[in-house]
Amino acid sequence: MSVRARVLTALVVAASLALAACGGDSGDDGGSGGKTELKLYNDKGAWSPFFEDLGKLSKEQIGIGMTPVGYTDEPTYSAFIKASFRTNEKPDLFTWSTGGRLEEIVEAGQVAETTDLWKDAIAAGDLSKELEEAYTYDGKQYCVPLNISYWVMFYNKKVYDEAGLKPPTTWAELMSNADALKAKGVTPFYQTSVLFSFVWFQQLLIGTNPDLYNKLATGEAKYTDPGVVAVMERWKQMIEGGYFSDAGSKEDPAVQLKTGKTAMGIFGTWFNTSMTQQGLKPGTDYGMFTIPNVDPAQSKVTMAFESGPLCSLAKAPDTKASTDYMKWWVGQPAQEKWANSRGDVSANPKVAIPDPGLSAIAKSAGGGEYTLANRYFEAAPAPVLTAALDAFGAFMVKPDTYQKQLENIQKAADDYWKGR
Amino acid sequence: MIRRLVLGAMGLVWLIPVYLLLVNAFRPSTQYDADRIWVPDADFGFFDNVKLAWDAAGLGPSILSTLLYSVASPVAAVVVGAMAGFAIVVLRLRAGFWWFILLFGGTIFPIQMLVIPLFISYSSADLYDRRFGLVLVYTAVCVPLAALVMRSFFTGVAYTLYEAARVDGASVWRIFWRVYLPLAGPALGAVAILEFAFVWNDLLFGLTLSQDESVRPVMTALSSLSSAYSGSTVPVVLAAGLVMSLPTVLVFLGAQRIFARGLTLGQY
Amino acid sequence: MSVATATPVDSPAAPAAGGRKGRGDRGARWGALGFVSPAVILVAVLLYAPFLYTVVLSFTEYDGLNSPEWIGVENFTRFFDDPALTTSLRNTLMWVVGTTVVPVALGLVVAVLSFGIKGGTWLRLPFMLPYALSGAGLAVIWSFILQSGGAANDILGALHLPGAETSFLQEEPWNTLSMIVAWTWQQTGVNALLFLVGLQSIPKEPLEAAKLDGATGWSLFRHVTWPLLAPLTTVVVGLALVASLKTFDIVWVMTQGGPGRNSETLAVTMYRDAFVSGEYGYGSAVALVLTLTTGAITLAYLRRQVKSREALG
Repeated sequence: MSVRARVLTALVVAASLALAACGGDSGDDGGSGGKTELKLYNDKGAWSPFFEDLGKLSKEQIGIGMTPVGYTDEPTYSAFIKASFRTNEKPDLFTWSTGGRLEEIVEAGQVAETTDLWKDAIAAGDLSKELEEAYTYDGKQYCVPLNISYWVMFYNKKVYDEAGLKPPTTWAELMSNADALKAKGVTPFYQTSVLFSFVWFQQLLIGTNPDLYNKLATGEAKYTDPGVVAVMERWKQMIEGGYFSDAGSKEDPAVQLKTGKTAMGIFGTWFNTSMTQQGLKPGTDYGMFTIPNVDPAQSKVTMAFESGPLCSLAKAPDTKASTDYMKWWVGQPAQEKWANSRGDVSANPKVAIPDPGLSAIAKSAGGGEYTLANRYFEAAPAPVLTAALDAFGAFMVKPDTYQKQLENIQKAADDYWKGR
Repeated sequence: MIRRLVLGAMGLVWLIPVYLLLVNAFRPSTQYDADRIWVPDADFGFFDNVKLAWDAAGLGPSILSTLLYSVASPVAAVVVGAMAGFAIVVLRLRAGFWWFILLFGGTIFPIQMLVIPLFISYSSADLYDRRFGLVLVYTAVCVPLAALVMRSFFTGVAYTLYEAARVDGASVWRIFWRVYLPLAGPALGAVAILEFAFVWNDLLFGLTLSQDESVRPVMTALSSLSSAYSGSTVPVVLAAGLVMSLPTVLVFLGAQRIFARGLTLGQY
Repeated sequence: MSVATATPVDSPAAPAAGGRKGRGDRGARWGALGFVSPAVILVAVLLYAPFLYTVVLSFTEYDGLNSPEWIGVENFTRFFDDPALTTSLRNTLMWVVGTTVVPVALGLVVAVLSFGIKGGTWLRLPFMLPYALSGAGLAVIWSFILQSGGAANDILGALHLPGAETSFLQEEPWNTLSMIVAWTWQQTGVNALLFLVGLQSIPKEPLEAAKLDGATGWSLFRHVTWPLLAPLTTVVVGLALVASLKTFDIVWVMTQGGPGRNSETLAVTMYRDAFVSGEYGYGSAVALVLTLTTGAITLAYLRRQVKSREALG
């Protein structure tokens, strides 16, 4: 037994050393330029297959391939990327978030400027001017849009048909639809207390006072202002009126919508993938519509959008390759493949989207018919966002505490904005 | 036998979550319904689910590496840990208790705080994204448990065994390698199994200290399935989780044999 | 040299702390250092050293990008004033009590009941399986069970027990308690395995002697087996103590410490402050406090255990 054990151990050790010695470094030499393989660091690990497809396409079209390095936990990813700036492991390309987080790294002088890229792209019709603002600091642009999604109301078409309802064009119609659904024992709206707990806050506020919404993001308005309090009161009434699903349910929203237990839910257009994965067909089983403003006196519909940037570093391993890649990324061939493989809209208005519902929304939103509001997740500074998400979650469990929750958020906001 | 009945009953209760896991991992991906989680589905969708997970998460290349980490690191750690336990208990290392505390202390650090400094040092030491780097860090993480258990185990071995061997003229190393280590077989096995599971299931170190597909451990790919943007359904996520736990389950089953032999020796 | 069998002749206690002069073996003294050094080096370089970085950071304000700014003990005063601290501490305490008592006791029961009987391996298997699941896997299954209207509610309703309507993951303290149940489900097998190692290393002689004296079952366990199991019990409880103070993964995946931060543990607070809010200096301070607390409690426990065993031996 002893001899056998020794031999076995020796074999294991030898094999381990042999395998370990092949470090796993398969990339090219990089160095001073001429890179043909770029690494795209991202916190959307679930999109790896899509990134890989794009990598193959770019290799064919511009001779530069791309491999994704996916992370799934955003805070860890953030810390990692920031730490990487000081090491030799700088990313060629990486995804980030607009708003305060982008501002932070731009101010630290880390991000490559893309002003010329944007000018050319807007002139060529590849990017819309509306989007530019989210990527502008001090009059210069940084990064390019990785993706864009608009936040709309998804609904179960079969449930709607059974109740004899049509997609609403005013808030009053939306609420009367909800009432009809309630009468039939169907929960009208989906709501969750984790991660996306801000959704209804966002929607109710941009539908009443988009200006106030934007001011909250810059610290010019307070969470305790009357306009915000009114939104919370409306939200509370809706919760107490039984319009929402159980916020604590961990059940997949796509499943809730599919089974018809819940009729509608506000999501980004990327939610399409979740629905089709459930075997649902757009147009027959489900659909989406633009959410009307709460306040009908507002002239234009305000729609929330989320757009994540694709960035490169000012001191990237190969700045030319990275910039060329970003140029290609916003063009039509890349965007067409990118948006359609994921079943989402594209930042490039020239891209044809097969799904008619999605296409209609993309045209209206991208064409300036709606006012766009940056998603709360990006608009709010990080510490304020954290406080807000906690507050909204707690509010959902105890709606009566809304005043206290708003005060908590404001406290975090005060801490953040003092001295800025 | 009362013992068997009690154990059996407890075991059944313990298996309830496993039952739910199996039923819903076997369910075809589009048939998941929260109201019917207890009832098995007539259609068997498990392999489809696994394929969906495989494609979505790109699980293939990392499995071999993960196997390397989960075997090499625990093996190295139990040997190193046994050496430390041996030194403290049998060789009567001076201030042995404090060395023991030093090693035990290795378990108290929250690993989230370790990963960023490790990333920075690894990248300057050119250990980043290398299998050797991961083997090293996993071994270091596994050593404390091994040292602890071995120390306790050796405490139960009579000192006269050592004394007699020294009188016979054997070198310290030989005594360790030929006497104490084999003696501790089942204990080493137990620790190695637990650490296999721990390393196999690690996410954080793999995520931050490596990036290449062939170096990254398998859990990093798997975790992408349960994130909000994945669009994967519950049966797919569960099926993937099930498949990923299989190696550990097999290791447990296989190692139980080694165990059983050692355990039937000490009856009462 | 033939391998001597494992039956020790006299009492098994060998003193844990060294330093006894006279027992010759000076060659072994250097050998001892050599034997312990690989372990110490690995642990010191890869675990202690990175933590030192955290210690330094805890006295600074650092956003991960620009240089850290020295601010002395400000992070610590802020931490002790933080209102979220009370809830965090309370939850962590629940975890400590919960996981050092129940999974350890259950593990002991499983180990003792299954030791030495035929088919013991198979009877133990249901308890071992849960450990094969990853942290995320565990959280997915139990979220699924504990969610409102999930399996737990189903079972309680079917048994006509209270709790059929409770939102286990939302309401405090139920969310922390349910997560402790999930954790127990996984850890019992681990503890059982470690106890089995202990049972296996108990020498036969004292047991035989006690049996001859007429001791059986419970009194045999209480007076002979349990004291002899002490070294492993120390390990198991010590590890459970450390793990409970560091509880993070399961809480993060199941509730993210919410809703409204009511299920946070100290480690979750640390992670939030460091990584989610991006205040690495503050988060490091929380980490330092957490580690020192864990270290102090564990040290106190271990010293007591080792001392009391030396008194027995």
